[in-house]
Amino acid sequence: MSTDTRADGGGGSLLARPLNWLETQSEEVYAYVLLAPAFLLLAVVAFYPLIETFRFSLLADAVASADPFGEFIGLDHYIALLTGDTNFTQQFISVSLSSSFPFVDFGAPFLQQAIFVTLAFAIISVFFETLIGFGQALVLDQDFYGRRWVRVAIIIPWAIPIVIQGMIFFLIFNPTIGFGAEFMQWLGVFGSNPLSSSSDSFLIVLVADIWKTTAFMALLILAGLQSIDRGLYDVAKVSGASPWQRFKYITLPLVAPALLVAMLFRTMDAMRIYGLIDSTAGCETVPSLTCLVIIALQESRRWATASAVAFLTAVVISGFVVVYLLALRNSSGGVA
Amino acid sequence: MTRDDRVDAAAENAAAGDGPTASVPGTAHATDGGVTDPSAGGATEEVIDPTANEPDLDRGIIEAWAAKMITNPERAYRATFYVATVFFLVTTLFPFYWLFVVAVTPRNNLSDVGVFIPAGFNPGAFVEIFTTLPFHRYVFNSFLIATVATVAVLLVGSLAGYVFGRLDFRGRSPLLLLVLVTSFFPPAAFFIPLNRLFNTNVDVLRPLLSAGSLYNTPYAIFIPLSAIFLPLSIFILMTFYSQIPDGLEDASRVEGTTRLGALFRVIVPLSAPGVATAGVLTFISVYNEYFFSSLMTDGRPQNWAPMLEGILRFQGEFEVLYNLMAAASIVAVLPVAILVVVAQEKIVSGLTTGAVKE
Repeated sequence: MSTDTRADGGGGSLLARPLNWLETQSEEVYAYVLLAPAFLLLAVVAFYPLIETFRFSLLADAVASADPFGEFIGLDHYIALLTGDTNFTQQFISVSLSSSFPFVDFGAPFLQQAIFVTLAFAIISVFFETLIGFGQALVLDQDFYGRRWVRVAIIIPWAIPIVIQGMIFFLIFNPTIGFGAEFMQWLGVFGSNPLSSSSDSFLIVLVADIWKTTAFMALLILAGLQSIDRGLYDVAKVSGASPWQRFKYITLPLVAPALLVAMLFRTMDAMRIYGLIDSTAGCETVPSLTCLVIIALQESRRWATASAVAFLTAVVISGFVVVYLLALRNSSGGVA
Repeated sequence: MTRDDRVDAAAENAAAGDGPTASVPGTAHATDGGVTDPSAGGATEEVIDPTANEPDLDRGIIEAWAAKMITNPERAYRATFYVATVFFLVTTLFPFYWLFVVAVTPRNNLSDVGVFIPAGFNPGAFVEIFTTLPFHRYVFNSFLIATVATVAVLLVGSLAGYVFGRLDFRGRSPLLLLVLVTSFFPPAAFFIPLNRLFNTNVDVLRPLLSAGSLYNTPYAIFIPLSAIFLPLSIFILMTFYSQIPDGLEDASRVEGTTRLGALFRVIVPLSAPGVATAGVLTFISVYNEYFFSSLMTDGRPQNWAPMLEGILRFQGEFEVLYNLMAAASIVAVLPVAILVVVAQEKIVSGLTTGAVKE
């Protein structure tokens, strides 16, 4: 902000020269100069680390030495990760084919395999968030007294820090004071200490995520709903369409592009889950992909393996993004 | 229940051959048991019974209500709407209320804490969080990091948003795509090299930073976070800047401002709502972030550990401080809650423009 005032005042000759130089350049050069800070930041924080992560993942672990990376070993870490041969209790994936039903063998329990935990979490949470978010969006789409405050109430969970979201659900499902643990135990779903059981904690994390991020879904769907021409509904009413038919034949198809974009964002976000797990059940109990990176890094100081996990995580997420973008192109052709 | 459904149901009843008879016990029951039999078991059957439309029958409250719903479907939608609204309000707000209940319960009574009523009343927890730990220092660290990151993102994002929104040049689409792709990658994929980088001792930095490395400084958190939340701001600002008419920019150039002057004196002020939107979203995102915030410092307040470390301290270091955890959470949530109440329109428009553009 200060650059322009000083230059215009004629005071800063140090700044005046580059600014004058900038004035004489073509629009193209000007564009590149203005983009430089943004891309410098992205290069330092994103592009360079991504390449480095890949390079690290090809090196051996050197657990005992000062430099955590050893010699070049190629794709060995990836092979170990994909065949379930790493020395962690929690595996990236550990599945082998067997001859008898159900024809797959889980080397580690299902919820101790990061890829399944993450995929199951992403798919289930996005599914419920879409359903409930649609409900919230339909409520917010109405005109009623106090709409503004209802909207605030619905957005607030989205805006709170992840650690506080974790704290809330940690307390609710804490066996000594939480009513949630008591209730679920009464139902017979949860064991005596839900936050140290993988399946119970998985459910808790799922509920916590749905509670927090449904609002995001609702807002994006709401934007889609409000862009629909209201005249269409009048026409449908005159033609005798029932509300359900109006929803099915007008609302749903027209909202689909916005819905897909929202689902894309949520899926990517859900696949990075870390903070919520770390602040409630802990990474060993519910190992997501990012959790596995941190486990490898902090507990066993296997930096190279951690890099391989991190890079595989990025690959898996890119795969999802590509699938969504193809779906988007088919559904609307032009949003993405 | 729509007209179609009702007709279908009636047809089904008729086909089964016991449509009319099935309704008889329910009606009889209601007449016998007086007007207000809430357990009117026949209610659901009555709903699908066509005779329920006749107004002169003596019905229970539920049946009468059901009949009204059928004659006037709009009413049924209205009722569903209110039920849904109340349901959403309760599910989103109740956890906060319960957090408050836990916070004001004295520590010795914590095992008796109820669902709705605290076991005792001790607001002292809200003072205690600042005496057992310098929690205010943690919150201040978070605030500072979020503010600096917001300013940095707005400045850098303004330049980039202006270029993408208003200039035409070769390579615009590929570069924009590159920005978009960056926002897709998980932070974990960036973390290991960054952590190494920030732990490297750089002699040049020694006079500025005690250890000579960026670890345990606010830079270690705000640099990665600025970059990670930059793409969203670029997309928001790009949308807003592109809507300013060219004539205004040209006029200011004719008046004699520099190119950059035109950006910061004409385009940015005219897009104030957009800048505010990007600012609010960046601030909230950085304040709420967990991954880098928890890994880039050793967790001590004098080493710029952010708010989340403070809250986790109550969980870990001392025995059982549930009430303090709850109180600290409430204190730390207040700033963003206020921001949401004040700036909800900005948040809504920011999220939607950002997403639609991307």
